[in-house]
Amino acid sequence: MQTPGNKHRYPLLLLALSGAAMATPDTPVDIRFTPRTPEQMSAFYAARGFPKPMVELLAKQCFITVRVHNRGTDTIWLDLSRWHFSAEGKEVQRYHRNHWLALWKDMGVPLAKQSTFRWTLLPETLDYQPDEAEGGNIILPWVKGPISLRASFASGPDQHGPLIRLHYDKLHCAGNPP
Amino acid sequence: MNRCRRLWLFILLFTGIGLSPLQADNALPKGVRVYSPGPAPVFRLTDMDNEAFALDSARGRWVFVHFWASWCGPCRKEMPAVQRMATLLADAPLLIVMVNTSEDEDTVFSFLGSYAPDMNSLMDRDGQVTEAWQPRGLPATYLVDPQGNIRYQALGGRPWDQPEYLAFLRSLPGSDGTE
Repeated sequence: MQTPGNKHRYPLLLLALSGAAMATPDTPVDIRFTPRTPEQMSAFYAARGFPKPMVELLAKQCFITVRVHNRGTDTIWLDLSRWHFSAEGKEVQRYHRNHWLALWKDMGVPLAKQSTFRWTLLPETLDYQPDEAEGGNIILPWVKGPISLRASFASGPDQHGPLIRLHYDKLHCAGNPP
Repeated sequence: MNRCRRLWLFILLFTGIGLSPLQADNALPKGVRVYSPGPAPVFRLTDMDNEAFALDSARGRWVFVHFWASWCGPCRKEMPAVQRMATLLADAPLLIVMVNTSEDEDTVFSFLGSYAPDMNSLMDRDGQVTEAWQPRGLPATYLVDPQGNIRYQALGGRPWDQPEYLAFLRSLPGSDGTE
């Protein structure tokens, strides 16, 4: 049962991050971010036979590979609708997987490519079990400069455990603007 | 209930004697959990040699269903362990079914040649079987019981060739409930 005292047990963490892979100390959640260059992503998808228009479109986006590891003993709940990105004081709207799904359908992208693409994305929601690690890409519009992320995770088997709130201040898109 | 029967009941309850090892969570290897969403989604796929396999043809046996893709890092790490597990469990009544997600024969052939040359894989060419199973990510492993129900799920890649995993897989009860 949720009690007023157990919310926000974990302090809001302000992390200055500048490397390619970044960890989150002192919380049950370990998140690593690895920005990918447009060239890396183009090469990845082109090598798997993705249609050229699809590859060209993806090369214009900002890809960050995210790995979430639950190091605690409780379930933690990923819900990307609780992740808010901003740059230069303005919200940066992450592309939901349904955005791409609709686009690929309109473009007539083969089902196999749509499927592979979906499996390369971070799930929109997932209940991370203790010691579970899963990852995938998030896709943002390409922006210059540091990106801030405010993310929160519910915890506990019924999501009524302590709320875990994290703040990252120096995420970035890799490579040059498309 | 007479005194003797009560004593036996006490012993059974407080020592765990009489419980299947699989009924106790602490008997499960790390990263494997009880997961019982119901009947496993059925599928019929062909492998790299174009041999067809239907999941419902495996009724009466436990089935290790493993979804993977060559581009997935944890899959690359896990695959050699899966092959060693398959070798070590060759005499066990466990059917190992690999399902590649959305890749072509050339890719799968090259990958398995490097990482697990003794393994074959079913080809989920359009990815729709994988979608139906809704794994948490790739790789994904499920254990389907002899009645066709999903019973266990592995979280991410696991060292399947290690003793605790082999012992667990060997301990799966037979189709008639025997161990």
